[in-house]
Amino acid sequence: MAAIETKKLTKSYKDLIAVDGLDLTIEEGELFSLLGVNGAGKTTTVKMLSTLVKPTAGEATVLGYTLGRDDAKIKELVDISMQETAVARKLTVKENVELFARIAGQTGEEIEKTEREVFDAFGLGKVANKKAAELSGGWQRKLSIALALVSKPKLLFLDEPTLGLDVIARRELWRVIEGLRGKMTIILTTHYMEEAEALSDRIGIMRDGKLLFVGTKEELYQKTGKNDVENAFIEVVSGGDRNA
Amino acid sequence: MRKSLARIYALSKRNVKEIVRDPLSLIFMIGLPLFMEILFYLLFHKQTDQFEMKYLAPGIVVFSQAFLSLFTGQLIALDRSSSLLTRLYVSRATSVEFILSYALPILPLTLIQSVLFFLVGGIVDPGLFGWRMPLAILLGLITSLFFIGMGILFGSICNEKSIGGIASILIACQSLLSGMWFPTEGLGGGMVALMNALPFRNATQLMQNTILGFGDAWSGFWRPMLILLAYSLAAFVCAVLVFKKKMKQ
Repeated sequence: MAAIETKKLTKSYKDLIAVDGLDLTIEEGELFSLLGVNGAGKTTTVKMLSTLVKPTAGEATVLGYTLGRDDAKIKELVDISMQETAVARKLTVKENVELFARIAGQTGEEIEKTEREVFDAFGLGKVANKKAAELSGGWQRKLSIALALVSKPKLLFLDEPTLGLDVIARRELWRVIEGLRGKMTIILTTHYMEEAEALSDRIGIMRDGKLLFVGTKEELYQKTGKNDVENAFIEVVSGGDRNA
Repeated sequence: MRKSLARIYALSKRNVKEIVRDPLSLIFMIGLPLFMEILFYLLFHKQTDQFEMKYLAPGIVVFSQAFLSLFTGQLIALDRSSSLLTRLYVSRATSVEFILSYALPILPLTLIQSVLFFLVGGIVDPGLFGWRMPLAILLGLITSLFFIGMGILFGSICNEKSIGGIASILIACQSLLSGMWFPTEGLGGGMVALMNALPFRNATQLMQNTILGFGDAWSGFWRPMLILLAYSLAAFVCAVLVFKKKMKQ
């Protein structure tokens, strides 16, 4: 079953078409990267698919449910890690995890199990009793992403997860994301080409709200005649025509 | 319903922790009003009736509640700017649950404020103790609703930088338009009419009348109560509408 299927999905604001007639299918279990320069429409796409923003036109199904009509059901199955670090700053790491677990409807032993899983996956155990505000930027970002997993989503949106992180912290997060592969569908937006190259099953490239390319890395190289994602991306974005 | 209550409880618990773990909130909600209560009593209660504890303590309770708007608003503005609220909006929680979780945890805080300021007032002037004191403490929950509603409204409109300035205006209004620091007899009729039409003096009078005796039931209790409830309702309705609109953006 497709995790996401969009037909002519569009979001426009007064003078701007942020996403323009998006046709996209993402299969369940896929790790799909959405690439694009600033203002390409990546974050708006993620916000529409995660029920945060209402589309202006078009339709979409998320995990079999219709966007707009079944938003409550969709909310039960998806989670998001925003571009910005979004944690409760004066709560400890443990309290943050507990808060998100309770919001997801977990209780008692279930919460403890979630805490263990999240602490193991992200190595957060050693800072469990520290307030989020006292953590370094890298740890805060880790916590922010970890919180998106607390609800055990079937579909996870990671919007620029490694933005602003140093190379070591970025590689650590890659390892964590890699560990999630196959356990859920992941849609990743990123500016970092090497990130998309290292992690993705398939890549989508957007510019000016339009999807210019969808396919595997190999298909991207073949279409553009390049042998790395960065140069292939530049070729697609500067070329302007849809390549696939 | 049960899951909804569990979410409201979890979010409320978090919101209380966020507020009480900020030392500034404790200084302004507890420390400053307490200092003013004792200082103004000691300095002026022999010269002016206004500063006798039966007038001063109820006034201080409402004055301290004005700071609730600042810290509630600040919490919401920060949650908005840090995207925490946006992120939580993807969860199963609804906007009504969010609003309740910002409003409900403030009630125990305001109860603590009322108990503390009346107890300290009673220690300084034992004449304050009596059956009217617990009644005033309970009515304090009602007077706080206006400030909580305004806090949610401010937090939904303002950013974290502007919230301090906007809430300060409300705090200044409570201080200057409540009549707690000066007798209103010398003021012009227009000014008194304005003060009577706004919620600040009505909140203070309701609390003072509870301690002093309501006298005429309409002017002593029902009129200030109804005016205050009307403002509180308006503040909450605006807060809910603006909060929902902002969340959709």
